[in-house]
Amino acid sequence: MKIYLQNHFDWCKIMKITFSQIVIILIFTGMSYATTSKGQAVLQRRLDVSIHNLSLSTTLKQLEKETDLKFVYPKSLVAGETDVVVEAKQQTLGEILTAILQPRGIAYSYIGDRVVLSKINAPVTETEQRTPQTDVTTPVNNVAKTITGKVTDEANMPLPGVTVKVKGTAIGTQTNVNGEYTLSAPDASATLVFSFIGFVQQEIAINGKSTVNVQLKGTPSNLNEVVVIGYGSQRKSDVTSAVATVKAENFVSGPVTDAAELLKGKVAGLSVSNPSGDPNAQSQIILRGVNTIGGANTAPLVIVDGVPGDLLTVAPEDIAEISVLKDASATAIYGVNGSNGVIIITSKHASGNVINEVTYSGSISTQQISKAPKLLTAQDYRNQIAAGTRDSTYDLKSSTNWLKAISNNFPLSETSNLTFRGGNNQTNYLASIDYRFLNGIFQQSNHQQITGRVDINHIMLDGKLRFNLGILQTNFNDLPFNTYDYEQVFKMNPTAPVKEPNGSYYQEPNNFEYQNPVSDIYNTDQPQSSYRSKYNATITLLPVDGLRLVATGSYQKSGYLNQYFANFQNISTIRDAQDGVANTSNGQSIDRYLNLSAEYSKVIGEHHFALLAGYEYQDDDTFNSSITNHDFPTDISTYGYNNIGLGAAQKNGLDVISSSRYQTNLISYFGRFTYNYKDKYLLLASLRIDGSSQFYGAKQPFGKFPSVQGGWRITKEDFMADQHIFDDLKLRVGYGVTGNQPATGLGLLGVGLLGYGNYILYNGQWIQTLGPSQNANPSLRWEEKHETNLGLDYSMFKGTIYGTIDLYNNKTTGLLYDYQVPSPPNLYPYTEANVGTLQNKGIEVALNIVPIKKNDFQWTTGFTFSTNQNKLISLSNDLYKTTVPYFTTGNTLDPITTTTNIVQVGQPIGQFFGFKVVGVSSDGKWIYQEPNGKDVPYDQFNHAFSDKQVLGNGLPKFYAGWNNTIHYKNWDFSATMRGAFGFQVLNSQRMNYETTGIQNYNRLASSKDKVFGTAVLNTNMPQEFNSYYIENGDFWKIDNINLGYTFKQLRSKYIHNPRVYFSTLNTFTITGYKGNDPEVPLTGTGLTPGVDPRDSYPAVRTFTLGFSASF
Amino acid sequence: MKKIYFIVIGLIILAGFYSCTKLDDKDHTAIIADQFTPQSGDVAALVGVPYTNWRTLELGRSANAVWRTNEISADETVIPQRPNGWVDGGIYQRMHYHKWTSDEDNCYQIWTNAYAGITNCNRLLYQIDDGLIPVTAATKTQLEAELKVLRASFYYELIDFFGNVPIITKFDVPAGFLPSQSSRSDVYKFIISELTTNIPLLSATNDATTYGRFNQWAGYALLAKMYLNAGVYTGTPDWADCITACNQVINSNLYTLEPVQANVFATENQNSKEIVFSIPFDNVYTADGSTAWTLHMETLEPENQATYNFQNSPWGGICAIPQFINTFDPDDSRLTDNWIQGQQYTASGAILIGSLGAYTGKPLAYINQLPGVDSSEEVHGFRLGKYQIANGELVGMSNDFPLFRYADILMMKAEASLRSGDAATAATLVTQVRQRDFNSNPAKATVTAAQLSQPTVYDYGLRNHLATTHDVVSDIQYGRMLDELGWEFAQEGRRRQDLIRFGVFTTKSWLSHSPNGAYRTLLPLPTSAIQTNSNLKQNTGY
Repeated sequence: MKIYLQNHFDWCKIMKITFSQIVIILIFTGMSYATTSKGQAVLQRRLDVSIHNLSLSTTLKQLEKETDLKFVYPKSLVAGETDVVVEAKQQTLGEILTAILQPRGIAYSYIGDRVVLSKINAPVTETEQRTPQTDVTTPVNNVAKTITGKVTDEANMPLPGVTVKVKGTAIGTQTNVNGEYTLSAPDASATLVFSFIGFVQQEIAINGKSTVNVQLKGTPSNLNEVVVIGYGSQRKSDVTSAVATVKAENFVSGPVTDAAELLKGKVAGLSVSNPSGDPNAQSQIILRGVNTIGGANTAPLVIVDGVPGDLLTVAPEDIAEISVLKDASATAIYGVNGSNGVIIITSKHASGNVINEVTYSGSISTQQISKAPKLLTAQDYRNQIAAGTRDSTYDLKSSTNWLKAISNNFPLSETSNLTFRGGNNQTNYLASIDYRFLNGIFQQSNHQQITGRVDINHIMLDGKLRFNLGILQTNFNDLPFNTYDYEQVFKMNPTAPVKEPNGSYYQEPNNFEYQNPVSDIYNTDQPQSSYRSKYNATITLLPVDGLRLVATGSYQKSGYLNQYFANFQNISTIRDAQDGVANTSNGQSIDRYLNLSAEYSKVIGEHHFALLAGYEYQDDDTFNSSITNHDFPTDISTYGYNNIGLGAAQKNGLDVISSSRYQTNLISYFGRFTYNYKDKYLLLASLRIDGSSQFYGAKQPFGKFPSVQGGWRITKEDFMADQHIFDDLKLRVGYGVTGNQPATGLGLLGVGLLGYGNYILYNGQWIQTLGPSQNANPSLRWEEKHETNLGLDYSMFKGTIYGTIDLYNNKTTGLLYDYQVPSPPNLYPYTEANVGTLQNKGIEVALNIVPIKKNDFQWTTGFTFSTNQNKLISLSNDLYKTTVPYFTTGNTLDPITTTTNIVQVGQPIGQFFGFKVVGVSSDGKWIYQEPNGKDVPYDQFNHAFSDKQVLGNGLPKFYAGWNNTIHYKNWDFSATMRGAFGFQVLNSQRMNYETTGIQNYNRLASSKDKVFGTAVLNTNMPQEFNSYYIENGDFWKIDNINLGYTFKQLRSKYIHNPRVYFSTLNTFTITGYKGNDPEVPLTGTGLTPGVDPRDSYPAVRTFTLGFSASF
Repeated sequence: MKKIYFIVIGLIILAGFYSCTKLDDKDHTAIIADQFTPQSGDVAALVGVPYTNWRTLELGRSANAVWRTNEISADETVIPQRPNGWVDGGIYQRMHYHKWTSDEDNCYQIWTNAYAGITNCNRLLYQIDDGLIPVTAATKTQLEAELKVLRASFYYELIDFFGNVPIITKFDVPAGFLPSQSSRSDVYKFIISELTTNIPLLSATNDATTYGRFNQWAGYALLAKMYLNAGVYTGTPDWADCITACNQVINSNLYTLEPVQANVFATENQNSKEIVFSIPFDNVYTADGSTAWTLHMETLEPENQATYNFQNSPWGGICAIPQFINTFDPDDSRLTDNWIQGQQYTASGAILIGSLGAYTGKPLAYINQLPGVDSSEEVHGFRLGKYQIANGELVGMSNDFPLFRYADILMMKAEASLRSGDAATAATLVTQVRQRDFNSNPAKATVTAAQLSQPTVYDYGLRNHLATTHDVVSDIQYGRMLDELGWEFAQEGRRRQDLIRFGVFTTKSWLSHSPNGAYRTLLPLPTSAIQTNSNLKQNTGY
């Protein structure tokens, strides 16, 4: 059964085969850098230039073509300069220019958008340097001294073309291609000034030394750095949308679980949380609030080296930088997947420097529960028995701390990364091996990851044709933790032993949902392994001036094998007579991706144009299968999942075999136009058209996603020319539309489907019925987010203060939701439909200050602040209107089983909705407040739906972050603090385990406390969801602290800059919240934020010791 | 060399642009309806769908449907709070107190499952009519009649629970169509008309081909139920037509009473000649959570796992209301056959010890005492054992659920005769049904005409840890007849309907329940129905 959308032709099928073959042959690809970057950073740009015996003027013309730069020079300057020979592979433009021009006595400087060449009037010679200039006071020890040294950047790469001057004199020189310089200082106490565009100027006193090596730091508010945007990059000064970039050196340090955790607290408006300490858990991300109520994507789209991926695609240690595209005008180019923002991960790549280097970094860490729950102890039980409130049969004569019983003491985790770089200018490579072993605080809970990666560049045809080839393979071997075992910690009788005297595990099979967690852990074997492999290739062709053709393709295959065996000692056999339960499930997913784009850029006078057009194709083929079996003849643990056919249950029709397969595709066309006038007025417009196979049969399977952005660099205006406050001030405004599709796994929602369902007895035989499996909705279309963003980028006092301010306002229309429809006439009471409008608006502020900027002492401090206001504007469908403007959602789970939240028109997402408690009576029974304000005692309260009211909201209204980085001599120190404010958390642990009436399970020690200071909760009060368990969640976390020492003085031929560091994660939390951690899941279903799950893996505090060096 | 690269690049671009411009979705778990041409072998699978709706209608996706609603809102059984839970947001207690709201799962489950059945019938009738399902002309008439009677059976539950509901008989309604509500008496007329027109067209055989489906006699049983409750549904009783419909089944001579009542409820009961219409269950084929018949799990305590060698430990909830147990004659074998009581043992005869709540460590012996719907221990309340519990049974049982059985036909005829003045016939029929239940004292099987008019022996009144009261019962007409229905049909998911017909449901107290308004003979329309269809008006009182 194959379904084609209209307008397909037979030759499509033929060509498709061709396409597949080419995809396979070419094994597609990674990241395509658009290289139209204009500006000063271009001097750092690496080029391939092959010039032989050309005249200098021809050479310059060729360079102009290569770089989009304009060289300005008097003809006389280049006249007669011939025989230029340059064979540069991936060298910086600065290096190349220096190599060509310096020997010819020509200096160059970058002014505006041009490179101005001039005669080096007075070549700085030693002779002249000895001649003191006017106004130079002659120092006491007036002895001329030759100083040599090397200038490097932060990555220890040599910096050519750096101006080195003796302070207060005209004496100066420039560094050569290797970043080396030599000059004569007038005296040993002189001060050298190192300056270079794009870097912080540094002054260093000679102090009698003859060698002065300098590492220059990039200008913090570097408006000229290149920023990765969708399908390309832009100079930061040209960016007209809300984009934030975090580079590797600013990442959160420690054994992070995935790429997103690296960004915690670093980007305004991006909330990253890791509410679980499970080594197998992933970060949860929300960008600019909750934007959907039922769409597939609730988290940002993740692009890894140009190809859609996820947070685990690359090891955190392999990442060079991460860009976050925040507003819809930036993400509209990603169309249907862009509505929650886009996170673009750029992994470390090979570069053209002919430097062969091996870098090692590694760390070991340990963890502890950040705040452990306090339960009744064995002594508490005995006291209760003595007081007559507990039957003496509950004393089982032992004393066990069940939390300790399942915990590891100081589990050790480790990470190691070995990266090789090498090659020459024509072909170079980066290869890395990354090993991570994260050990959880609970026994038998860990995560092992081995990633191998190769990135190869090959350049030919004088740089006109470039190949990039990437291969990545990641293997995971995990032991997952069953949170049900953590639930048992709260239930287990503290007077019970872990093991009986005869060595068997203590169990009480008749106690409902009660089982020894230590036995569970050790009598369940559940290894899970998975892999991801990715092959990608990019071919870039620069056939004519200004035109750039890029083909990027990738083939990703991932798979898993999950196995499970509960042996005969497991409760499943002891209580349920299952005689061993085994499962083996596996699956694979193949994702193919092709992107073809053409970009043309042209400069006409002061007008800069660029046009990008592209086509993208993605498909996915996912297959899963699973077999479960029980009733094994023997308890030999090497059987189980290894010999699953031995179980008798499957033969008796009592267990499940299943398999499934889904294939989907997404077809896209995109285009972008950028215009820049005098670097002052900036314009960008883009359009993306996406078609998704999930909309097959719907009236509009293709969606259009336009955007337009404008920028005004106020500091470029004449009236700003005389002010000295602002270095740069740019006003940005953008509007864009992005999409979202129905939740995954729901295919073909636009058409009627038949599925095999329940059995009927037909003429003595059980047969499976075939009936409709959904209400079709041919009107189904994309959810659309329309966002307006107003931004200001500022840099003041020569980069001392810089940052951004963004205001956004967005509306998601046509919200996708499994909407309640009338039945009759509909077969099912729910239909996936477009049902309403949701608004999010907020402010994001990033403020960075460099209070201290001395040679051996730098302090950078940064603040982020963001707000989000969320409101459901409407909730109705074109066909069916609801008569009430709300629906309830969320569930307290067993045993309370009621909804926790309400989604209501005019209110934000995340409203807790339940009974409001205002006190307890003297006998410990709840006193409620009805919505009309009347107080009602427990026995007279109806507990009806109409008695429920809004009890709080789980979505924080404000987020703030404060990052500090201090460099003092060889020491570096950083601290990341962050907080969230204005929200409530449902403490499910208290709700379930503070009840006093339940005897057969343990409970929290806090159950002994008086409720509202009045009385201990009456034993007749059943577990209930009410406002008493909803707490304020406001918190301020000192999250990541990092202290490092770099051995800069170490003069070894083989080892460079070894660094040791100590860091902590989730260090300290200031909060009034009584549970484990107020930073609770915000995503999940998206509609029930702020519910602290009863049994989730608790949050942890991590301590890390790390080491890195290159060889 | 250069040219080669250009050609390669050019080819890639061409191939890319030309190859993939169409959406291509393959969902291997479903079939696209428009592209499926059914063959004759598919007919059974296609037309069987609405019968699966009966299973979920009776038991619900969360068990909160017809069976449980009719049971725990009435005076025979209750789900009290147990040491291991069974509070579940208070829903079972509200059902007992008659304090339910339109948000209850019960309202939602009965409504959506009944209408899912109706919509499936409408769809199949439309598809057969349109030739989309390949049925032969010979079978078409009978199949269409069966679907219409089946559809009427779903309306029967709707009229019983909600009264005023929309009648919808078409499938191809315009997009956005909202059906309008009909009055209870119009719904009654519609059901009677559908049944009387179509029953004669149904199969007249009673064998494996019609088992679990509507043949003529199942149709007449349904018709008899409608006439029996005509007074409740329309205000005008119709005892004569009820008797006629019952006689159709009796005169078919295809059904008989089982010599032992337990045979009707045996694990393998599909061959019982007492069953007129049943909802088939199987511990393998109907084992998934939404369709399994799990009464044994819901009623037994976890320790009873050892009694029956279950694979799973039971959940321990529903039990008898002591006042009802007290109405039984001690010689009535139904008291001991249908209710699990006294000390519990393992399969090998060792006594079971309680392990939950206050009776931890004490013998597990079910006693006919219950502190109240809001409080109980493991030992409280006799457990429901009418449906045979097989040794080693799984989570779902294999006992087919008899919705209409021959004893019911006889008792309907008896009640209709009694109410239309023929007490002698009534007494004969009731005696006929009782014959098998008094082996220890056969004389007690006989019931006289005079006895049937005696008051009930049910001692109505509050009877819990908070209050003890005694209601007047002399106002209940034919109280003994109501008692007879209780003794014979306890646990069969119908008590609410009988109590309403005898005027007891909203007038008497039992256990923790006090009357809470006469309007509670009807359930409120579910909130979701009211919210999605502005044509619907909520039932009076809610």
